[in-house]
Amino acid sequence: MNAHLRRTFYFFVAGFVSLVGVLAYWQVYAQESLATDPSNSLQSQRVQSVPRGLILAGDGETELARSEEQDGGTYERVYPEGPLYAGITGYWSTRYGASGIEIGENNNLSGNGEPETLDELLNQVSGGPQAGNDVELTLDPELQRAAYDGLAASSTGRGAAVALNPQNGEVLSLVSYPSYDPNNIDENFSDLIEDPDNPLYNRATQGLYPPGSTFKVITAAAALKEGVEPSDTFRDNGTYETPGYTVYNYQAKSYGEVTFEEAISKSINTIFARVAYEYVGNQTLAQTAYDFGYGDTYEGFPIPVAQSSLGDIPPEEWVKGNIAQISFGQGPVTSTVFEMAQVSGAIANDGNLMDPRLVREVRSPDGVILDQPTSSVRQNVLDEETANTLTDMMESVVEDEETTARIPGVKVAAKTGTAENPAGDPHSWFISFAPADDPEIAVAVMVENGNEGYKQALPIARRMMETYLKSQGELPNESTTAQPPAQPAQPPSESTVPTTQPAQPQNADPFAPFRAPNQSPGRNPTQPPSQPSNQPPGQPPNQTPGQPPVQRPGS
Amino acid sequence: MTQRASIPMALALIITTLGFATLIFVQEAKSPPLIYGAYYAGTMILLYLGVRIWLPHADTLLLAIVTLLTGVGLVMIYRLTYEVPGVENLATTQAVWILVGSGALTLTVLLFRDYQKLFAYKYLLALAAVVLVAMTFTPLGYEVNGARLWLNLGPVNLQPSEFARIALVIFFAGYLADTRDLWAATSRSFMGVQLPALKYFGPVALVWAASLGLLVFEKDLGSSLLFFAVPLLMLYAATGRIAYIILGTLLFAVGSYATYLLFPHVQLRVSAWLDPWSDPDDAGFQITQSIFNIADGGLTGTGLGEGFSQTIPEVQTDFIFSTIASELGLLGATALILAFLIFVYRGMKIALLAEDDGSKLLAFGLTAMFALQTLVIVGGVTKAIPLTGITLPFVSYGGSSVVGNFIITGLLLVVSENAGKQPVEEDKEAGEYATEKVTA
Repeated sequence: MNAHLRRTFYFFVAGFVSLVGVLAYWQVYAQESLATDPSNSLQSQRVQSVPRGLILAGDGETELARSEEQDGGTYERVYPEGPLYAGITGYWSTRYGASGIEIGENNNLSGNGEPETLDELLNQVSGGPQAGNDVELTLDPELQRAAYDGLAASSTGRGAAVALNPQNGEVLSLVSYPSYDPNNIDENFSDLIEDPDNPLYNRATQGLYPPGSTFKVITAAAALKEGVEPSDTFRDNGTYETPGYTVYNYQAKSYGEVTFEEAISKSINTIFARVAYEYVGNQTLAQTAYDFGYGDTYEGFPIPVAQSSLGDIPPEEWVKGNIAQISFGQGPVTSTVFEMAQVSGAIANDGNLMDPRLVREVRSPDGVILDQPTSSVRQNVLDEETANTLTDMMESVVEDEETTARIPGVKVAAKTGTAENPAGDPHSWFISFAPADDPEIAVAVMVENGNEGYKQALPIARRMMETYLKSQGELPNESTTAQPPAQPAQPPSESTVPTTQPAQPQNADPFAPFRAPNQSPGRNPTQPPSQPSNQPPGQPPNQTPGQPPVQRPGS
Repeated sequence: MTQRASIPMALALIITTLGFATLIFVQEAKSPPLIYGAYYAGTMILLYLGVRIWLPHADTLLLAIVTLLTGVGLVMIYRLTYEVPGVENLATTQAVWILVGSGALTLTVLLFRDYQKLFAYKYLLALAAVVLVAMTFTPLGYEVNGARLWLNLGPVNLQPSEFARIALVIFFAGYLADTRDLWAATSRSFMGVQLPALKYFGPVALVWAASLGLLVFEKDLGSSLLFFAVPLLMLYAATGRIAYIILGTLLFAVGSYATYLLFPHVQLRVSAWLDPWSDPDDAGFQITQSIFNIADGGLTGTGLGEGFSQTIPEVQTDFIFSTIASELGLLGATALILAFLIFVYRGMKIALLAEDDGSKLLAFGLTAMFALQTLVIVGGVTKAIPLTGITLPFVSYGGSSVVGNFIITGLLLVVSENAGKQPVEEDKEAGEYATEKVTA
């Protein structure tokens, strides 16, 4: 009988070994595919069972995001400031993924990173709950509020504003408007996706717009490098001819004999086209723009930034018509508002472009500082002398022309932009920094279809600079009452500015937050998608031969 | 068969203690009722010492395995029911059942030291088994989750099939030992299989059919499977005829197909097994959640108390192995499977070394029951075979199951005592080998 017993025993052994095999199949071979199975909610349960770290503003007090414990031991993400910081914090959803800092700093916030303190190590070894680390940002709450309110009150209610500390690269405010409430994102997500104003779209970092005349500071920088002096005189008779394309000034004005400095303060397109073509050249202009950050995806910045671009034609193939258009920021040039703030900051900081930073400090839940990024120069764009000369030229913009941008007691350097685009009224641009002699804040503001730069973007930028300088003690507080109203002197009866526009930008991509920076749509959202990327030589872009020139860009 | 197991016993208790210590830390739990832990440890130690005194030649390694399995079960039940409204006391209840089981084992050891006497009452036992199962159809019986498995006997609720199966194994062991030689004297053949005279085959078939039929109508699929397979394996062990296995498998196939056609709940089980992913929120919920949790554990597990298997329905009974695989990982689950295999190995060893046919068949039948039950439920929760609701011996929550398995262990111990009185060289080697396996 023993032989039979042994045989049965072998049968049982085979059964137990098979069970181990089945287990190994599930736990090793099929583990990954099961973890990502759509009906498997374990990962989101796991995520919800651990409190994520706080996201704090730069004052170290204002909570931008925190995890609140619910009945049943799970945590819900709460954004006490609502839509005000949504463009930076992003949202955190177990159904729709995450965006902004929530995903960019997820390793810190989730507590899934490498253990950094003894407590964390003990928790990880013992399998105990690992609360996420707190992330303190560089944002200034007052400034953020000023920028947000300013954009909310703008004529079209669509735009973006970015402010930096030019000396260390800290982002002081970053606003995309309209925004959304990241609280209860699960319930509102489908509505937000269908909203024609695309509130989920980050207009500050993802939106690509023609920068218009604000780009002239880059052309001017290139010209100064090539030996053009601010006092050099040029003659403008209202047009600048290229084969098949004629450059006009804004509102078809003609200025006669002017200096280069006057050309920037009066924003004379024809002189910039001529200087770019005759004195600068394709390679220097392109290289200067690249040094300022065009073509850069700002890898390492915690939220994705779209690549600002000079178009698809390589600089060596630019014809006269191309460089003429690029010199004043039209044609194929597209830029994020974030990038133009970098440009402003680089000029302000003696020609040194700093690494943009949004995270000031990462702390463990018990307050141990885990990471404290230091400031570093990203690129030396201009030598100090050139940068100071350019600053003087930008000061003349405010002193001589855009007087509404003046802030008593503080020198302001600035440049306006009125960017023609095929989607409607021009985009209103303003870049600036102050105090011009020792800059503490650099700003870029853009209001979609807001018309002239001084009308919509300028007052917002001025209000931001004032707010920040006051909080830094650079301006007396009582000056608020002494100031003229923040709105431009022009009566607001610009009835030609429609208050409701079709969805802008047309190619707005609501999924942009989910994309890695290098996947961001390269196409200018305000350009028609059918625009040919390679045009025959001699044929200027965006211009049908034989048609009378209609472009009058730049202010 | 003498086998001391003081070190394995100590290790099993240390593992249990460490499990509770981890849980208190991870779940930030208040101290579990420590007095119950002390009762549990004291019970198992006293049991071990008692058996060593009463049955000096017995294989006490079985008790070390039982301590490990019940200990792991207690830790897991405590982990799954801690502060869960309605079931928060299950771990202490289980500790009480282990106490009762230990008492039952002690009684078994003391009363049935001369277990051969039991074979004299084999027909009575068979009748008792059938009556026990049949009682669930009286007003005393009641349904849980659609299966009529339970008896309400005043203060306690009882799952009679857990005890009936022990009686049946004793019956088959006694009967087959008596008639073993006669089975060979066959006169007829059916489909090439030599059938014994109806005179000998009749009682076996009758008891088998009666108990099986009752269980099928109780909708107790897991027990039906065991009641079918264990007598078949015992028949093979007794006669050595593989033809019985083949014939049995054919019968099983036909029977399974018939039950599939007859009972909608069987169809549901089979479709949930074949494709649970098509309906993961309803019919396939239990099995897909089990698989997700098992996969979640990976190689080393999520750590005790860190998994999410609480959401599996019936997790503290039928699906407790899913929690173990999830939180202890492939390594922990494999270790537990090995512990079960060592129990089976020791059981088989007892059967091999036993002197007479009745003892051999008894030890083999009980061991086969234990092995098959483990294979069927672990295979079920890992989707290797269709799910049938039975408990994981000693680990799952459940009073009848725990007490029944303690009685099985008690019977194996008295058989091993009997076999151990004539020491065999082979046994010593095997014993040392097994000890190493456990302590390793």
